[in-house]
Amino acid sequence: MGNKQTIFTDEQLDNYQDCSFFNRNDILKLHARYYELAPNIVPMDYRKNPIVTVPMSVIIQMPEFKENPFKERIVASFSEDGEGNLTFNDFVDMFSVLCESAPRELKASYAFKIYDFNNDNFICKKDLELTLARLTKSELEEEEVILVCDKVIEEADLDGDGKLSYADFEDMIAKSPDFLRVLYRSWPI
Amino acid sequence: MASFLLRQRSTQSDLEPPESLGEVLWEEEVERICSTKVALQALPYAMMDKRLIRHLREPDGVKTSFWEQWKKKWQRVHQQFLDVSHRLMGIFGLWKTDLYEIGGLFGTGIQSYFTFLRFLMVLNLLTFLLTSSLVLLPLAWLHSPEPGPALNTSYHCPTSREPQPDLSRIHLHLWDVFTGRALSNTYLFYGSYRMGPESDSQYSVRLAYLLSPLTCLLLCFCGTVRRMVKGLLHKRLLSRDYRPRLSSKVFVSWDFCIRSREAATIKQHSISNEFKIELQEEQRTLQMQQQTRKQRARQLLSYVGLNMIIGLLVVGGISAIYWATKFSQNYKDESLSLLLQYMSPGVISLVNNLGPLLFGFLVQLENYPPNTEINLTLFWCVVLKLSSLGMFLFSLRQQAVLCSGRSDHSSCEPHGYNQCDQCWENSVGQELYKLSIFDFFLMLAFAFLITLPRRLLVDHLSGQFWVWLGREEFLVPKNVLDIVAGQTITWMGLFYCPLLPLLTSIFIFFTFYVKKYTLLRNCRPSPRLFQASSATFFFQLVLLLGLLVASVPLLYVISSIPSSVNCGLFSNYSAPWQVVPEAMALRLSPSAQKVFYYFGSNTFWYPILILLSLTLTVCLSQSGANKRAIKGLRRQLLWQVREKWHLVEDLSRLLQESGGSDSWGPESPSSRSSRPRSFCPGFPCPGSPRSRSFMDPGK
Repeated sequence: MGNKQTIFTDEQLDNYQDCSFFNRNDILKLHARYYELAPNIVPMDYRKNPIVTVPMSVIIQMPEFKENPFKERIVASFSEDGEGNLTFNDFVDMFSVLCESAPRELKASYAFKIYDFNNDNFICKKDLELTLARLTKSELEEEEVILVCDKVIEEADLDGDGKLSYADFEDMIAKSPDFLRVLYRSWPI
Repeated sequence: MASFLLRQRSTQSDLEPPESLGEVLWEEEVERICSTKVALQALPYAMMDKRLIRHLREPDGVKTSFWEQWKKKWQRVHQQFLDVSHRLMGIFGLWKTDLYEIGGLFGTGIQSYFTFLRFLMVLNLLTFLLTSSLVLLPLAWLHSPEPGPALNTSYHCPTSREPQPDLSRIHLHLWDVFTGRALSNTYLFYGSYRMGPESDSQYSVRLAYLLSPLTCLLLCFCGTVRRMVKGLLHKRLLSRDYRPRLSSKVFVSWDFCIRSREAATIKQHSISNEFKIELQEEQRTLQMQQQTRKQRARQLLSYVGLNMIIGLLVVGGISAIYWATKFSQNYKDESLSLLLQYMSPGVISLVNNLGPLLFGFLVQLENYPPNTEINLTLFWCVVLKLSSLGMFLFSLRQQAVLCSGRSDHSSCEPHGYNQCDQCWENSVGQELYKLSIFDFFLMLAFAFLITLPRRLLVDHLSGQFWVWLGREEFLVPKNVLDIVAGQTITWMGLFYCPLLPLLTSIFIFFTFYVKKYTLLRNCRPSPRLFQASSATFFFQLVLLLGLLVASVPLLYVISSIPSSVNCGLFSNYSAPWQVVPEAMALRLSPSAQKVFYYFGSNTFWYPILILLSLTLTVCLSQSGANKRAIKGLRRQLLWQVREKWHLVEDLSRLLQESGGSDSWGPESPSSRSSRPRSFCPGFPCPGSPRSRSFMDPGK
């Protein structure tokens, strides 16, 4: 209130405030970070709603994502075109879900999307194998991987169709108190 | 853009009848989303779709009622207020960047230890504030007599022995500070508090002094139990079958706060290890189920035998502490040597450092699964640590209590206790003070004289031995036990040494930086990483045990042991608790007194006990009924889903037979590109045959 900035109109800032967990200052800081990623693509003036995307290869270089084995999946889940190129709206969305104030259900929805590699709204065995491969960087033997996948399906599949639907996933996550540590960052912006 | 299509579609639907069943389902979905009470920010849709929903929920042109507008305004103000207060708290959030750095480099398990340190420091500071505001400030306000030992009128006492002349003066002063003797006439110790007799109009400092340790302990107890219960509910609520051990490990184990390459590698390694261990445990459980009865009996016997051996070792260690304390108390007053003065803290530390090594070695001799090994070792370490502190206090009190209030002083002379210059509370307070200081300096010594040289030697020397030795591991459980032991000592000393919490918080402040330096420079993280949630539960549990170990002696002393005649606030009472009835008699009317006496009597507590037992029975039977209900619901879910897929197959077969062009099978992923992707977070999209009752999340 009262600080003169020429990046967004007041209405745009209000919209962002309503649709994310950030306030005005945070949105401006986010825009600064977005601009830093690609200063020659991202305009400083967003008042006319320019359509600008930053490619995935730049976003996954950010220090928050660099060491994360799921970085491509995270960025792809939030992008509108599915390829990982984020507009500023997607960027704000992503950090809003990752921040501390986001509720568990919201994080669970996006976690499901992240782990669903083939985008069929089910986590099937192939998705599990890919997840394990990224988590353990092939330190497990093949038969161990298969055993683990079988065990996961056995434990978590409630409706017996051989793959995890969102309801199964959410039920399993609800029993893990550690879940809030996933998709969670306590960084200053 | 896709969302604009959606907007047009939603406005068009008022004019034209929906084209297909898919459209109807789509409209229903949109309606459902718009009518939920979920906050806009918490919806899992893209920004443009959220704006659409916002627009649909509150169209611009419609006039909202005065109540709605006021509510919205109030919510905004409330949100801003919360933001501002969070930012202010952030300024007071000590060490936030340090914690962030540690979490990024080593993961949240080790970070939780440092968060625990901060929590304990704040706890101690609050305790000190409570004590000082209830006791010290009123004392100063009421212009009480200066702190110091009372004039003894009835005993002929020799003057205190002169210190040995060959020690230099500075040595002497420093020495006296470390043993607490220089400070024994200050407000640090119990003996120097003075107050006139109780009156009904003045603020009763005695009552405040008595009640402030009890209040602090009670508040700590409530806070710790509250934090513990939050973690407990998730862990133990469901039986073994329903606990998703491996599946939650797959989805929940990656730590999204990690930012460095080494930490990521370590985390990956530890995750692989965890999977391997889980698979091994599975195999082992299967094997055990196939064992004969004889083998099982033999295993049980060996387990019990191992525990008995370790228990005997613990008892041996504790008796060593008892004898060491007794021995050192005999020669208390001679400024002999470092060894005797600090003998009991030394023995305690020796026992507590050797013990875990022995336990670990013994436990590894048997071939137990890794989880059992770790839990067993941890359990015995906790038992050893807390019981050694308990025994230390008990042996101190033995000496003190045996010798106070006795007319025949002959047997106590050699112990140094006589009526003249002894205040047994002061000596207990001094012992605890020495223990506190010793612990702190021991921690410093370990950090700078053992870990640092080890790192230097390992880094600069080459050779099989040094490679095998490696840098020291940063073991979270061991460090937590140390810090909880320190906190237990502080709690034990609340009555005898009221300013001890201040000292402890200063020590914890420096401990944080020393530990951080040790972790970042001289240590390597252990390959078995601590999960953050089980860590918090473990910390709270051990803290609670320490609290119990500290409160039981305190309650016993307050209620039954007569205090010294010469010093302190309670010199004329048979037990410190007697102040309370006296204060009540002075200040309260007889009817109010009767009410209080009723609350303390049996006729009040028996009905309460019966009521509590009834409530517990009801809760237990309710949880049993819930478990049965969960089983039944899972079976129902299975049947319903199977039925659903049967119907889908039947339907697609029928449609194919009737030659319908529109396939009603579940939509393939490629055809979904025409819809905004973000409206289907995990549910099959509208358009695939489903009835609402199956997939309605009912939120």
